Amino acid sequence: MAYVATRGGERAIEQAERLFRQDLGTIDANRVETIRSTMPYLIDRVMGEASLYDEELAALALAQTGGELSEAVLVLRAWRTTQPRLSIARPVQQHEVLTQRRISAAFKDIPGGQILGPTLDYSHRVLATDVLEGKPFAPPAVDKAATPAPARQPSLADWQRQQGLVAPAKASNVPPENIPDLTREPLLFPASRAHRLQSLARAETGGVLALGYAAMRGYGNAHPTVNELRLGEANVVVRHPRGTEFAAGRVRVSQAEVTSKEKGGYLELGFAATFGWNEVKVIAAATLDLNSAAAPVGSPVHEEFYLYHTESVEASGFCIHFKLPHYVTFQSILDAMRDAKAKQAAAEAKGEAYVAEPEEEPVL
Amino acid sequence: MFNETPSGGPGHGEMLDILARARPDRLKQHAEALLNDMGEITVVANRTGLVMVPMRDTVQNVDFHLGEVLVSEAQITDPAGQVGYGMVTGRDLERAMAMAVIDLSVAARGRDDATARFLAEEKTHLDHVDAERMRQVEATRVEMETF
Repeated sequence: MAYVATRGGERAIEQAERLFRQDLGTIDANRVETIRSTMPYLIDRVMGEASLYDEELAALALAQTGGELSEAVLVLRAWRTTQPRLSIARPVQQHEVLTQRRISAAFKDIPGGQILGPTLDYSHRVLATDVLEGKPFAPPAVDKAATPAPARQPSLADWQRQQGLVAPAKASNVPPENIPDLTREPLLFPASRAHRLQSLARAETGGVLALGYAAMRGYGNAHPTVNELRLGEANVVVRHPRGTEFAAGRVRVSQAEVTSKEKGGYLELGFAATFGWNEVKVIAAATLDLNSAAAPVGSPVHEEFYLYHTESVEASGFCIHFKLPHYVTFQSILDAMRDAKAKQAAAEAKGEAYVAEPEEEPVL
Repeated sequence: MFNETPSGGPGHGEMLDILARARPDRLKQHAEALLNDMGEITVVANRTGLVMVPMRDTVQNVDFHLGEVLVSEAQITDPAGQVGYGMVTGRDLERAMAMAVIDLSVAARGRDDATARFLAEEKTHLDHVDAERMRQVEATRVEMETF
């Protein structure tokens, strides 16, 4: 690795940052609140990838970076490191989630029924250009049902276990403080399931979609069907100094199970979850989980491949580092090119055939 | 030790649930009113921090970390050693402190009428908000036979 040492240029650097920020204009609390209240799904995506749930800070990060998602995630993750960890909450369990959307594409009659919840899945995607002509788009209100939906819905996988369709699972007995934690230890392979699912929870949405989509199109070994997709709100259950458990608030969560074919007498299931409502991410991530077991090393659905390549901060950081001066490295490429041309010209002048020497790949 | 009930009405856990989601302005207003009758208070902690949220995987029952939530925390004590504690999601130290003040008041003096009324009103409000939302959600229930 060889870079030219950077000296001077402080003024240009400062003006470059000023130019970026000047283009964004003044950021005030109103702008942050407008972003927070009008773009909940963007906020969800940023919170999920930053692994930090706070709508206000996510909106601020978006305002400050002009909506450049990888920068917004980066500043949020950096800010996260400034905060002490006060507690580890009680694990969220599916049947405790305040469920607002729950569908299955594999089973028609699931216990608790199918609830579409807030979605555009079945809508015409029509741009409301009238808004630009001065006619505000005011959505019609929902015709509420006479009675509320049940706050909680049963676990489909548990029902499938009772039917003998899904393999039994051992009860989890890991104390919360012993759950493997990527923020405090490196990701090593083969990854523990806890590391894999935590890494997918904070993975970059576009990256997960690309690799999950590759698996769906046939580059994996399992084609997914959505066993259950669930959006809801989970309580953050913490402990009072006297020991009482209580909910300090709620966070939006998404989770998906996808299923493929029968294996060993049971349906295979893949799972993923994330902060915020982000269906595409959890379906794609669950597809990668489903494909992991039999994935060839080096294939896009092998866990080492997709976990490394969907880690947004590292991936974007590596990508943008190529903007740094690589003059020394590139100079050696130019020297080699000029040398080869000179040798070729000399060989041609003598009427000889020129055979280029094999080149070494430059270290970047 | 869990969900102990310091006095009549909702148990301690339920009271804390209500306080953590109570309307901020009303919460702070009620805490202000209680402070007038409370003696010396020592602030042990009033800070923001993170709570890691694990989730249970439904396929293999493995617990994994979903991510961290920003919270505000307040812990106070009185000369008798009673503890008041508040934790709320988000960056609002005043809310956390107001919750701790009400918790300490109940721990030290029991639940006075004003606090009982406040908790009942906030519970009614929160239940109403949830019920209205879930009525909207129920309207999206679909029969797949006719879908």
